[in-house]
Amino acid sequence: MSGPVLYGLLGAALVALGLFGLVVQAAVLRKILAFNLLGGGVFLLFGVVARRTAPAGLAADPVPQAMVITGIVVAFAATALAVAMALRMYQITAAVTVSPPPDAQAGDA
Amino acid sequence: MTGAQGLMVLTLAAPLALLLACLWPAPRRRVPGLLWLAPLPGLLAALFAAGAPPLVMDGAGLRLTLALDAPSALLLGAAALLWSAAGAYAPAYLGRQAGLERFAVWWLVTLWGSLGVFLAGDLVTFYLTFAAVSLAAFGLIVQDGTPRARRAGEITLLLAVMGEVCLLLAFALLADAVPTSSLAIADAVAALPGSPARGLILGLLVAGFGLKAGLVPLHVWLPLAHPAAPMPASAVLSGAIVKAGIIGLLRFLPADGALEGWGDGLAALGLFTAFWAVGCGITQTNPKTVLAYSTVSQMGVTVAALGMGLALAVPGTAMAVAFYAMHHVLAKGALFLAVGLAGAVGGARRTGLLLLPALFLALGFGGLPGSGGALAKLAVKPQLDAGLVGALAALSAAGSTLLMLHFIRRLASLPPADATARPSWVPLLAWLGMAGAAVLGPWVLFGAIGPGDPWLGDSWEALAKDPVGLLWPVLLGAVLALLLGRWGGHLPTVPEGDLLVLAGRVGRGGAIIGAAVSHLEKRLRAWPTAGLALLVLVLALFGALLAGAG
Amino acid sequence: MTATTPAGWLLVVALVLPVAGMLLAFVLGGRAAERLALLLLGLGVGVGVAVSAAVLRMGAPIVYLPGGWAPPLGLALVADGVAAAMLLTTALVLFAVALFGRAAHATPPDQAETRAALAYWCFLLALAGSLAAAFLGGDLFNLFVALEMLTFAALSLACLEGKPSQFRSELRYLLFALIGSVLYLLGTALLYGGYGTLDFRLLAGRTRADLPTLLAAALMTAGLAAKMALFPLHLWLPPAHAGAPPAASALLSGLVVKAAFVLLLRVWIWVLPPLPAMAAAPLLAALGAAAILVGSLVALRQARLKLLVAYSTVAQIGYLFLMLPLVLSGAAETASHAWLGGLLQAGSHAFAKAAMFLAAGLIATALGHDRVTALGGAGQAVPRAVFAFGLAGLSLMGIPPSGGFTAKWLLLTSALGDGQWWWAAVILGGGLLTGGYVYRVLAGTIAAPPGDAPRPRPLPHGPQNVALGLALISVALGLLPLASFGLVQIGRPGALGALP
Repeated sequence: MSGPVLYGLLGAALVALGLFGLVVQAAVLRKILAFNLLGGGVFLLFGVVARRTAPAGLAADPVPQAMVITGIVVAFAATALAVAMALRMYQITAAVTVSPPPDAQAGDA
Repeated sequence: MTGAQGLMVLTLAAPLALLLACLWPAPRRRVPGLLWLAPLPGLLAALFAAGAPPLVMDGAGLRLTLALDAPSALLLGAAALLWSAAGAYAPAYLGRQAGLERFAVWWLVTLWGSLGVFLAGDLVTFYLTFAAVSLAAFGLIVQDGTPRARRAGEITLLLAVMGEVCLLLAFALLADAVPTSSLAIADAVAALPGSPARGLILGLLVAGFGLKAGLVPLHVWLPLAHPAAPMPASAVLSGAIVKAGIIGLLRFLPADGALEGWGDGLAALGLFTAFWAVGCGITQTNPKTVLAYSTVSQMGVTVAALGMGLALAVPGTAMAVAFYAMHHVLAKGALFLAVGLAGAVGGARRTGLLLLPALFLALGFGGLPGSGGALAKLAVKPQLDAGLVGALAALSAAGSTLLMLHFIRRLASLPPADATARPSWVPLLAWLGMAGAAVLGPWVLFGAIGPGDPWLGDSWEALAKDPVGLLWPVLLGAVLALLLGRWGGHLPTVPEGDLLVLAGRVGRGGAIIGAAVSHLEKRLRAWPTAGLALLVLVLALFGALLAGAG
Repeated sequence: MTATTPAGWLLVVALVLPVAGMLLAFVLGGRAAERLALLLLGLGVGVGVAVSAAVLRMGAPIVYLPGGWAPPLGLALVADGVAAAMLLTTALVLFAVALFGRAAHATPPDQAETRAALAYWCFLLALAGSLAAAFLGGDLFNLFVALEMLTFAALSLACLEGKPSQFRSELRYLLFALIGSVLYLLGTALLYGGYGTLDFRLLAGRTRADLPTLLAAALMTAGLAAKMALFPLHLWLPPAHAGAPPAASALLSGLVVKAAFVLLLRVWIWVLPPLPAMAAAPLLAALGAAAILVGSLVALRQARLKLLVAYSTVAQIGYLFLMLPLVLSGAAETASHAWLGGLLQAGSHAFAKAAMFLAAGLIATALGHDRVTALGGAGQAVPRAVFAFGLAGLSLMGIPPSGGFTAKWLLLTSALGDGQWWWAAVILGGGLLTGGYVYRVLAGTIAAPPGDAPRPRPLPHGPQNVALGLALISVALGLLPLASFGLVQIGRPGALGALP
């Protein structure tokens, strides 16, 4: 099994894990962690693509690497925003999940 | 732009100008007093612009056409006259209520649509004016604000919107069938026989226009709307607004025999409507409801005449049907004005100025010789002459007489004013003017549609030729009316809007479906379900794309 | 395509102005932020008009190559017909929302600014910049970044009032939107691996119908559908609106969703090869039809006005998906009519829905609540807002004359002309149901107020006029000559005489 294929499979596994966690986990922080896992898997796949489309003379294509860097920044910003909001929500309501309270109306679900 | 075309544009522009004036408070107070002026350009257009070349305007990227042929001119003139008379009546009737200005706004929008329908020459203008006249009538009906008016308005609006949807689909199919991108009605009608969806289009047109004209079973809004609306609004509702359906049928149904079975079907439906409405009408006690059922019945006869005329390809059907409908506009509008006056006059003045002319007009619907109605019946005789249809038409004339005599009885039983009361002259003038027009108009215009000079007394001639044929329906109706007066109390009471009680069950079914869908949607909003849905969507899309590529 | 066209600098202005403004506003704070935002958003309208005029005059897309580097190495800013039209639409709505917010978020002369006020102006500018990036981007990865910026700006606006329920709802929106973004990113990775470029104009005509491309398209479509709240992925939209300030609701429903739609169009019309796209488009349209019917039915039963309007958004988004099978499989004339109809629906819905949310917000402020069954008295308290709601409702229902009617007429005639009559039935049924809930609200507002209700607060005319203005634009779109909509056909592949 060559390097890119192994990393590709790893990336796919990370994506699957992240997606599962994001959907199934109740606590917000775990969702955010799962999102980061998901993002990590995607970036890994970008790396595989970089290796596969490398032009002659270079080890890897620089364009997907640039995309990975941009993606990391975006994911970082998203994580920061999500954590800030989760923190604020906890400070106001002491809730750690995004599930609606038991007496929620249709608008809260 | 020639003078005739200018009149057509002015007909549409006058109500819009008054509407614009309503934006500022000071002019807005004057507008209700000016309502009688707005339709007058329409009357002038009907008198002088009939048959003029159509006005074609290339606006809004589409080719808009205004056209006025002879049948439309008849209806336009009669409708404009009625709108004017009722508009003169409205401020006096509604008094200094706070809602008068709001009423005037709804009135002007409905008026614009009502007159515009007769002028429209292309699909877009027709749909726009038809939508205006159907939807704005809601405001006229709910003017009183009572729960009954609310309910009537809602049902009218609901049915009107359903009719609009049918017409929209029909127009879209017609626009598709036309080989060029023209939207002119003439081109659409020419393309109709060759379209593969011909049956569907005809069905949708009949449904949409029949709903407006009051064909059973889509007539249920008429008997609800008329008693609920204020009297001037009822007058234009029965007189002018319903005729939008008639002009639609006249314009859109092809006249060259391409209808096959549809003509006979329309005739059957029309005659059924005529009898059904008489049957429901004689059980009613409110004179406005009786008049509403009479409108339904008369529209049934009109549609039957149209259907038979198209099926048998009788020449001049359009003019004859328009003539019949024109008489109805004038006479029915006048009778509604009479109902409004019933509580304002008393004593001998009441009998002389109100009841006797009303009786004459009412009997005209049955075909009393000398009345405008008799001329109208003569006009559609070529259409409604054949065998069984002729007999049914005569019987329906008897039914009309019965119904109208019942109406007169109910009118007379309304509490009169004091014998010395002096009614305001505006309503009185409006009523007498309309009554006169209803009698004289057909006489003057009969020469336009058929052979002979009416001043020679065509209906007297027909009476001389065939006295029994013209008179027996009236006499039969009178006899039945006497019987009704004696034993009418034994008849079952039919609720206003007869078939509407069936709709209650449909409404309940709809509510159950709505609740089930809501429940389903709530389940879908759970996070895991949505996540699963996302994955399923990816897989489904992938599969569909693969299937398309392979 | 490979060079900067004249007037390309306009695209740079469209992007840089709002972003620079946002940074400056953050630094200056207070009333300067408000003035700067109003000035720049007003200029944005001018830029939108200029871009549209330039595209119309040239008859071809405007291109700007930052740094002079052409794709596939460089990134291009492209303004074709779609982009120009949507840019103008969003600029107008943003400017209107800025005017609307002056009353609520103004800073009095001698006081320090509140956080909410500063955030409002800054995020409006951020939204303007993100929308410009989303419409003008020529590279699929750039579009991903723009999409993220949009999400952040919109949800920050929605959380402006700091209510706990709002945090919870917006957090759910963020997480669901992030799933969508990541799926989209995955798709771009696969596409780059296959073709070595992500410029959608270079990809057009070059893509093959092989496994990675199709998988990428499926992933990107699903991700964008999640961002657009396509049924059944709409779970985030109603709660996001329930507690949001009216300005945020107007922008979220009116504009953010449209940006994701334009991206979807880029993927389906430019990137995907035509044959598989033709086969799979009915699936998306079927979901759109389900959105129309379910969304309208649920809207009919809502107890709260803001939720009713939110579900109306869910339903109206479905119409946008109906254009896909008609554009892809129709004859040239049908396709161009369907294209125009879909984009006109997007534009007029943006104006109408923004007007509706602003009006609903004004009604709720005047009455103190937004229960649909107790709206009596709103007609006297805020008559212009109710009138705006009515006009917007007319456009959504498809009553002439309005932009919504023209859009539905075009879609209807395309569907019938192509023989796909089932979409016509859905369009008509949706119009009927829309009429139901619009009537429910309007009838409620002209009823008499309940006896025990507190007196409604009279509101200033300014915000009401803004809502009315937006509704009037939505109606006026139906009065424009159809020929003037030739703008949106420029740059579309398959359009007669279009450049690739």
